[in-house]
Amino acid sequence: MREARTAVAAEAAHLPVLTAFLQEFWSAAELPAEEAVAFELALEEVFMNVVLHGAPSAGATPRVDVSLALADGSLTMIVEDDGPQFDPLTLPPPTLTGSAAERPVGGLGVFLVRKMMDTVSYHRVGARNQLHMIKHLARE
Amino acid sequence: MKVRLETLGQTTVVVPEGRLDFSAAADFQKEIERVLTGMSPAPAAVIIDAGALDYVSSAGLRVFLLAARAAQKGGIAFSVCALKPAVRDVFDLSGFNQVIALYADRQAAVAQVPPPRA
Repeated sequence: MREARTAVAAEAAHLPVLTAFLQEFWSAAELPAEEAVAFELALEEVFMNVVLHGAPSAGATPRVDVSLALADGSLTMIVEDDGPQFDPLTLPPPTLTGSAAERPVGGLGVFLVRKMMDTVSYHRVGARNQLHMIKHLARE
Repeated sequence: MKVRLETLGQTTVVVPEGRLDFSAAADFQKEIERVLTGMSPAPAAVIIDAGALDYVSSAGLRVFLLAARAAQKGGIAFSVCALKPAVRDVFDLSGFNQVIALYADRQAAVAQVPPPRA
């Protein structure tokens, strides 16, 4: 079992901090490089959702906690924020067909997270939103 | 992320290098817009050579979709080539392989460019 956690304010400028946190965990745990993208992408999409849509109307910046736990070849990433209650898994699936002109531009983030992870679940714990993402990592 | 431009006759090749995440998307979008709408004469074709692109998120995909739209509007042939496997996965999952012409390498992309306009 290997664990790590960090916390940042939900501001776009902190995205590189979270990416670096994930990459450091990856090298320290000697995880397969080709599996990193799925988690980097999931972390970016979930974090940016909180940054762009998760601020309470009062204007306060939510705090985002990220934890990683590696056990039995599976990595669990939990992204938690103290913004208003919001379950991103209730978003409708994006339109994936149609020409470039017809297709809507947004809505792909959460869809990609679901595709890339084995399991994604939302929990409201006290005053916090928690998104649990789990994926089994193929080891060489 | 760095972006390099190359000119091959009436074709402009855009070469992004590194990570196209939310932080990089706005600058990349500006650069692509400049190539698609701000050049005189406008290129007949724009190819994005993604051979050095390591990562793309939904914020990056958005730029590709907007570029495809702008190119279509401007009558410019638009394609993307040499996607690395991790980036190709994101394109395929998003169905972008159906809205943007994707080629295995630059040679194949250049071969598909329509003949020069008179």
